[in-house]
Amino acid sequence: MENLSDAKFAYLLLTPVLLLLGIIALWPLMSTFWTSLHADAAFGAANYGEFIGFENYMAILSGQRDALLTQPFFSLSRPFQSAVTVTLIFAFVSVAFETLIGFGQALVLDQDFSGRRWVRVAIILPWAIPIVIQGMLFFLLFQPTVGFLAGPLQSLGLLSSSPLSSAQDATMIIIVADVWKTSAFMALLILAGLQSIDRSLYDVAQVAGASKWQQFKYITFPLVLPSVLIAVLFRSIQAMRVYGLIETVAGCTVVPSLSCLVVTSWGQRQYGTASALAFLTALVIGIIVSVYIVRFADAESGGF
Amino acid sequence: MATETGQQTGGEADQGPFTRWVGSAIRNPAKAYRALFYVALVFFLFTTLFPLYWLLVLAVTPQRNLQDIFLTPNGFNPGVFIEVFETVPFHIYMLNSLLLAVITTAIVLLLASLAGYVFGRLEFPGRAPLMLAILAISYFPPAAFLVPLFRLFTGNVAVAGINSPTWYNTPGAMVMPFSALFMPLSIFILSTFYGQIPEGLEDAARVEGTTRLGALFRVIMPLSAPGVATAGVLTFIAVYNEFFFSFLMNDGQVAQSILGIVSSSNHWAPLLQGVLAFQTQYGSLYNLMAAASIIGVLPVAILVVVAQEKIVSGLTAGALKE
Repeated sequence: MENLSDAKFAYLLLTPVLLLLGIIALWPLMSTFWTSLHADAAFGAANYGEFIGFENYMAILSGQRDALLTQPFFSLSRPFQSAVTVTLIFAFVSVAFETLIGFGQALVLDQDFSGRRWVRVAIILPWAIPIVIQGMLFFLLFQPTVGFLAGPLQSLGLLSSSPLSSAQDATMIIIVADVWKTSAFMALLILAGLQSIDRSLYDVAQVAGASKWQQFKYITFPLVLPSVLIAVLFRSIQAMRVYGLIETVAGCTVVPSLSCLVVTSWGQRQYGTASALAFLTALVIGIIVSVYIVRFADAESGGF
Repeated sequence: MATETGQQTGGEADQGPFTRWVGSAIRNPAKAYRALFYVALVFFLFTTLFPLYWLLVLAVTPQRNLQDIFLTPNGFNPGVFIEVFETVPFHIYMLNSLLLAVITTAIVLLLASLAGYVFGRLEFPGRAPLMLAILAISYFPPAAFLVPLFRLFTGNVAVAGINSPTWYNTPGAMVMPFSALFMPLSIFILSTFYGQIPEGLEDAARVEGTTRLGALFRVIMPLSAPGVATAGVLTFIAVYNEFFFSFLMNDGQVAQSILGIVSSSNHWAPLLQGVLAFQTQYGSLYNLMAAASIIGVLPVAILVVVAQEKIVSGLTAGALKE
């Protein structure tokens, strides 16, 4: 081992990692794709039926497969009950709120004050809470009999009588739960951006007579924008895979996210359909990410 | 709002403490910003902590009073924290979760150390694309791996006539996906740390007669202890919090006693299944659901208090240096 060249030694050390990722990630991806090109098994022990090319994808995208799914794949008329729309609504709204709140939290944590350590602990804590417990907490908060949030919101007309089984209400509740848990993640990434800003810029601005608002607008915001954009990208990718939170709070039939649809059709042994849905999920995420990167690559390089 | 009030009454200086404060805040904006800061601080503390406090209130409210719980419990029933363990074997679920997290963390630290050494300290053809490919894997939704992995772990994949192991309901079916899923972040953190150790220290160890691997585990890894701790803490929390494979790679059964944990009656269902068991089997025992949730949060809450610096540095390093 000592006489190997750097390259051979490198690949030798990487073997276990590559083996693990090969078996647990790369092979399943290829196998999922292969399965997605086959019909669902009609009966019995077979995993999938005959080779049908891209027919699964066609059937899903054109809506013909909707009858076999628990909820439709894409429907603009019922945005909270079809997979693509509800996933995008969830991702967009929750990430928007997380960015705003995370920015606020980061600005607070960036200040010097006594007890900052404990405030930071309090703000990070929701991020570290298991998804199932986060889900349980919001399930209870909005449970009409025990939760204190359902009653007042119902009398304001914002929630229906059984919020956890109404698609629109449950989506809102899941968004609130996600904002509660993951704003802290945004806050930490933005805080890192804030702390990398050269403090002497503020001294210069103060001497020049800039107000706090001007300092924020012309120094803080442009310099922290790249971190914010990256944080938004990370969160969006995670948000579009949402599954566990939905399963705990309301169930996959009420809020059918893309991942939900994969799991339910897999549970019904429609392996071809489930695999095609899984690939379409990755594709939707990939498209959103590419659009985002192309759209903001200029803004980011302009920020520095 | 403060400025509005100030405009109406700003001139008359002796009209009470609030008006006086507004007047001085207009003359000295720093004071207003300070006030805004405290308002924001209190708001964030309230929104993050109040739901958890409310969970505690709900937990200690006796069964018969479970209605409209808000600031204080309707009664006091601390015995609920014992009832949780009597109703379902919640301690076994917890122990399964902790064991799965520890095993995964150990595997990830070992393998990611090897890879971190390679990516942090060696130059070789294919380094950048390989690193990128490893990072790219962690961006696929777990659902994209589900169908084949389930078949693999239920013994339905055959290579050269040999069936894959039946790992469903055993730690392997969860530890393997967890490791693959959370490995990239650790590789990234460790390669940054290992890359910073001066070349001379490694050479010195080699001259003393240590092998390359010996130098990694006896010199580089100990010197990068903060980085190893960071990767370990983040992996542990990630596994403990994971939902997808924890939910789908076992049938929710656990042993009934601690001694049975290594027997085949323990299907290695983690915390998640323990919490969900209350929701599915004991539909209206909301106080037990709350109590179980509080108990489940404790290990990570302690970890956050003890290791918050590591968490902060690890998360930001993982995200911002790419």
